[in-house]
Amino acid sequence: MLFHTWPFFVFLLVVLPVFFALRKTRLWLPWLTVASYFFYGWWNPYYLILVVYSTLLDFCLVALMDHCPKADQKVDVMARLTGLRFDDRVLKFAFLGSVLATIGIVLLATFGPKTLRPTMAVFGLIVLLMGLGALYSSRKIWLVISLVNNLALLLFFKYARFVAENLNGVFAWIHVPLHLPDPSALMPLGFQYLLPVGISFFTFQSLSYTIDFYLGNVHRERNFLRFATFVCFFPQLMAGPIERARHLLPQFYKFPEVRMQNFTDGASLFLVGLFKKLALANYLSFYVERVYDNPKAYGAPALILATVAFGWQIFFDFSGYTDMARGVAKLMGFNLILNFNNPYLSTGLGEFWSRWHISLSSWFRDYVYIPLGGNRHGSFETYRNLFITFFISGIWHGAAWTFVIWGVLHGLGVLITRELERSAVYRERVPKMIKQAGVFLFVSFTWIFFRAESLSDALLIVRRTFTAAWQNPYIPALMLGLVAVVWTYELLYESRFRELLKSSFVRVGGAVCMVLYLCLCSSGGGAFIYFQF
Amino acid sequence: METPSLTAKPPVVPPVPAGKEVPFGVNEVRLSARQWLATLVILGLVALLTPRVWKRIQRFDTGPDYRIPYELSKDYWLYEQRLDQVAKPGAVIVLGDSVVWGEYVLPNGTLSHFLNQQTGQPDRFINGGINGLFPLAEEGLINYYSGPLRHQKVIVHCNLLWMTSPKADLSTEKEDQFNHSRLVPQFSPWIPCYKANANERLSTLVQREVGFLQWVGHLQNAYFGQKSILSWTLEDDGGNPPHYPNAYRNPLAQISLTVPSPPADDPQRGPKSPRHKAWSTDGQGTTRFEWVELDSSLQWQAFQRMIRQLRSRGNDVLVLLGPFNEHLLAEDNRPAYQKLRNGIAAWLAQNQIPVVVPEILPSELYADASHPLTEGYELLAKRIYSAENFRRWLE
Repeated sequence: MLFHTWPFFVFLLVVLPVFFALRKTRLWLPWLTVASYFFYGWWNPYYLILVVYSTLLDFCLVALMDHCPKADQKVDVMARLTGLRFDDRVLKFAFLGSVLATIGIVLLATFGPKTLRPTMAVFGLIVLLMGLGALYSSRKIWLVISLVNNLALLLFFKYARFVAENLNGVFAWIHVPLHLPDPSALMPLGFQYLLPVGISFFTFQSLSYTIDFYLGNVHRERNFLRFATFVCFFPQLMAGPIERARHLLPQFYKFPEVRMQNFTDGASLFLVGLFKKLALANYLSFYVERVYDNPKAYGAPALILATVAFGWQIFFDFSGYTDMARGVAKLMGFNLILNFNNPYLSTGLGEFWSRWHISLSSWFRDYVYIPLGGNRHGSFETYRNLFITFFISGIWHGAAWTFVIWGVLHGLGVLITRELERSAVYRERVPKMIKQAGVFLFVSFTWIFFRAESLSDALLIVRRTFTAAWQNPYIPALMLGLVAVVWTYELLYESRFRELLKSSFVRVGGAVCMVLYLCLCSSGGGAFIYFQF
Repeated sequence: METPSLTAKPPVVPPVPAGKEVPFGVNEVRLSARQWLATLVILGLVALLTPRVWKRIQRFDTGPDYRIPYELSKDYWLYEQRLDQVAKPGAVIVLGDSVVWGEYVLPNGTLSHFLNQQTGQPDRFINGGINGLFPLAEEGLINYYSGPLRHQKVIVHCNLLWMTSPKADLSTEKEDQFNHSRLVPQFSPWIPCYKANANERLSTLVQREVGFLQWVGHLQNAYFGQKSILSWTLEDDGGNPPHYPNAYRNPLAQISLTVPSPPADDPQRGPKSPRHKAWSTDGQGTTRFEWVELDSSLQWQAFQRMIRQLRSRGNDVLVLLGPFNEHLLAEDNRPAYQKLRNGIAAWLAQNQIPVVVPEILPSELYADASHPLTEGYELLAKRIYSAENFRRWLE
């Protein structure tokens, strides 16, 4: 169910009135949970198993973590093992539950269907770790279980095939008679091996809660429905923004204030997002697809324009989704964080990443870059940490070498612009527009690797960009005009003329033009690019 | 707005702590309730007035024997405008599929042309056929795009071709692509072979109800090669010869404010065309059809609903049943056909709907199972006109 389709409109027509009708009861939260699960299950009901499992496990892990002492303390393991002498009843039950679950898993793996064995092996490992966590009353072990579980899910569904294929290639190359099976062979009970939509988003959101609780940044959530709604809140479930428990969970404590401004703001955000997606992103995608599907057939201007067009396409697509997500949440009175802040007006790559997919950048900053040491240990370590963060960010986007190269290029770019920004000449003498153009060109160049179907295609596009003949690119004037209008709007927004954009004439005129354009020129469906991540 | 940089030392807290105001966004398209109201009023006026003004300023040359051009078959907004033009007392609109439209013949070789010839009144019978139509789609056409037909005399052609097999009846489970899918019922009754997703079905329902969107469909059909305007701007990719020269430059230049006319000399149709020949000239023998049961036929049920709908709108309806090309039926296949035809005639009689069941035409006057050739239409018109119940109905 995509935001820009009619089924979502019908879904919203049912969800919103019931949500508001339930405002004086305690049922509004369960209703939100049910609606979110329905929204997710619409894609594939099988996905629901994963999201419910992940939510349930993290909820329980944090509850168990809460029963462990914050500081490390010595425990009498033997007494616990032999006499079941636990200080905390919950941990005792967790230990006994783990033992019973282990027995059940072994029995199921032995006597149950053979296809269940790989899954049971993973469950066995998690249950074993849970037993250890209870035995040692260790918060760290509970955190490790959450990390292992969430990352294992992500790695298996997103990267297992990529890893297996690459390893099989290496084995063949060095003549080792080994062949890893396709991950689909590990699926239980005939389930298909499909990448669940939005898995990277909900696992990161759920994971951030356990890490933040471990670090003492959030309180334990005792209401499962509230936590489940936090993980699967339908406006941001598929492609973010990746919310933090500290920001979103408290909004589910009581029914949001009903204000007219929530409706008008929500509708405004939704309209802009819809315009970005249908009028701009989808339109640009036609040209990008045509050129990128057959790069050999096009000259340098078409390749350059298609690359730049993709830069705008992915921005409109993803920020359009975010605007719609924020708009839908706002209609109900909830606030989601800002995820894009005119990134193509950045004057440095570091700034670009603080304006592009802000919720992911800050996630990597807080849970990867800072734990690695951040910028606290000198230049070399800072650069190393930055590079690792961007490398992981590249892989997060997809299981392909093109994404790895994209991440590495951004890592290198950040290092270079950081050095440049240290020089007074660059900081003070180089005009802002030149810096902005430089960042835009570099980011556009890296999009080649992000968008190309394969590494060989990407390299071909890079080569042909510099060597192919100059032919008419046949890019529609309307497309160029639309991008120019948006760019001008962004420049005005960040200039002293911003007040002009606030006039009723511009606002009403803009909204009318957008709706009419959508009716006249809508290009139909097309999923959001970031759903695949 | 200041945002923390990855390279700066960041705080270990989310970007927006609870309780703090979340920025609205990075644009100023933030409308107040009054501004939304103004927007909706302006949009309402534009949506209401544009199609009406367009009808007045767009040239739509029709002339005698006009039929909706094949390329504009899916331009239902234009079809409605055509009905609006011709609906007047005394006019008889002939509704139906390509048999009425005249698949193998020129506009002056169609049934409506020869009926006009018989009566000696050039504009009495209007060709209201659409190529590629079938009862399930025709029902939609009548329901949503034939408002101007109200209280008119109409002849509805019943083509048994649509009951020759479960596939033709659209009652198979296997997915099938067919013409005019935007006219068929989207949810109820359920068409098993129509596998459009929920979004396509719902968008069809919305388009049927919103006149402005129908008008947009007309623009796409009439000026942009049945494509969305955005897709059309990408059509010119330097091919030789170009299909759509300069499509990438200025789409507005394409809107000529004149509905494209049918080709003056259609090489695919008319006595000079290679397709205009008797069905048996290629040595084709007889055929056995898998006739569907009348009670379970989706097409027949749609036909019945359409007749009821027309009558409820005050239309004076006459049904033209056949003539199907019985010459190509295998001997043992005829009883099933006759049972079906008799069943239809019985239902029409039972509901007191005037019906003309013309005698079968000579074999050489059929181009295929249901389409007559030019001489076939001429003979058919004569036979219809000589039928007493037809003349009674006409008067």
